[in-house]
Amino acid sequence: MLNAPETAPAGRKLMAGVVLVVALILQVSVANRLPLPGQITPDLVLLAVVALALVYGSLTGIVAGFAAGLAADIIPPADHTIGRYALVYCLIGYVCGLAAAEMDRQSLVPFLAVAAGALAGTVLYALTGMMLGDPRSSWALVSRMVPLQVLYDVIASPFVVWSVLKVTGRHEHRDRTRNRMAVPTARYRAMSGRGSGL
Amino acid sequence: MKDTRRTRVVLGVLLVVALMLITVDYRGGANSPLRGLRGVGAAVFGPVERVSAAVVRPIGNTLDAVTDAPGERRRADRLERENQRLREQLRSGGMDRTRAAQLDRLLGTAGMGGYKIVAAQVISAGQGFEDTVTLDVGSRSGVKPDMTVMSADGLVGRVTRVGPATATVLLATDVTSSVGSRLEDSREIGIVQGRGRRGFGGGGATPMRFQLLNANAPMRVGQRLVTLGSQGERPYVPGVPIGMVERIDEPVGGLTRTAYIRPFTRFTTLDVVAVVVAPPKADPRDAVLPPKPPSPSPSPSRTPSGTPSGAPEGRPSGRASDRPSDRASGSPSPTTSEAGD
Repeated sequence: MLNAPETAPAGRKLMAGVVLVVALILQVSVANRLPLPGQITPDLVLLAVVALALVYGSLTGIVAGFAAGLAADIIPPADHTIGRYALVYCLIGYVCGLAAAEMDRQSLVPFLAVAAGALAGTVLYALTGMMLGDPRSSWALVSRMVPLQVLYDVIASPFVVWSVLKVTGRHEHRDRTRNRMAVPTARYRAMSGRGSGL
Repeated sequence: MKDTRRTRVVLGVLLVVALMLITVDYRGGANSPLRGLRGVGAAVFGPVERVSAAVVRPIGNTLDAVTDAPGERRRADRLERENQRLREQLRSGGMDRTRAAQLDRLLGTAGMGGYKIVAAQVISAGQGFEDTVTLDVGSRSGVKPDMTVMSADGLVGRVTRVGPATATVLLATDVTSSVGSRLEDSREIGIVQGRGRRGFGGGGATPMRFQLLNANAPMRVGQRLVTLGSQGERPYVPGVPIGMVERIDEPVGGLTRTAYIRPFTRFTTLDVVAVVVAPPKADPRDAVLPPKPPSPSPSPSRTPSGTPSGAPEGRPSGRASDRPSDRASGSPSPTTSEAGD
């Protein structure tokens, strides 16, 4: 599924695929049915894409974002124009992948990236809807949804990012070849430890 | 990873692919060439969703119980019981088709909301701005697109897409949903439209808007709505309760009058629903409406109603005629009389 660069071992592709499928299933069958105030739910798929992009860089972010978005477009209850999520998540994966390079210097980057990704993802998705004349993406609805959506995404992000790091980190540990990746991963782990302690 | 040339190429290619998908799907509309892709999605993810729904159901129940403990618990118990009964009805219906058909004919002559239903559970819900859910029944259970979906309390929506084991339902609260409907005990018709995201688009308790086509027709707060029934009973069968008029906009010289509707169905916690696989033989009129609530708002003009209104609580005696239908493949009327509290 994931169009692999040679630099990525097969294990990483598999891991990213597993993470995305789990995030998708959890999204539609658990998160979307949570009785949260406002009937808005955190976007776990977006968070998973952001986390993968931050760990593996922009190339993986792009491909993972596209694949996850396309799957989100065709998974059963979806009823919008096919390709909208693919476009949005692909862009988000790219931008967050660029931010990954900054991560060694700034420890606050993951949280900023998640918040920015959530905001950009929701707004972009709404914009594509407006451009296509989707009556669901009316300005009244979008302006009310976006702040809550971003808030929920930021609240949910430590859990998702932590899970993704846990999964991918174990993998990194196992094949021991990703010397370069060790620094951000360790940094991440420290971050997520702090995040879940909030 | 650096922003290499290769990365940019991949980004460009995938963006172009995404834009092409959007264009093709958008221009194709209802019969776009990418429908097959959705079919693949349903075939691949449908079974996974069913399994995961079965796994997470206890968690969901716990969460529900925590958020609204006493009411939710009671409701969960009721749904559980109802679910059990529906399952039994379904099983018996499947085992003895000829007998069910005979009973159904019997029912048809008895009239009164004789919908033939397939019980289903909601296994997943839509993302973003759309108000859609997936049910755990599909074409194998005889579900087809454009069938009415209802809960024990009232209208839920209509089936839009069907996979082998799953079906996608467009909820009546979605912005793109519009349902022909009729005020109780009058012939005044109008259109019920959703306001998006289970009411978030327009505000909490009234996720639907009703436009009365005749601006001069009488309409009052507390009046109830049923579906009018579409041509050929698809997608909406007649007589399904929708909701109650909560607030009426003062007319400002428009051609229609607008009212805001509080639905009978709780769209936020949908669980057990029914797909109407065969329409009633005769329009049940107002027979399926739940009994009048005790007194949510003072209105002296309650009496001219088709359903027996008084009867403080408990089952109105008029419903006794619906009882026989309980035995057959399932009429919603007994359940609604139980649900109205």
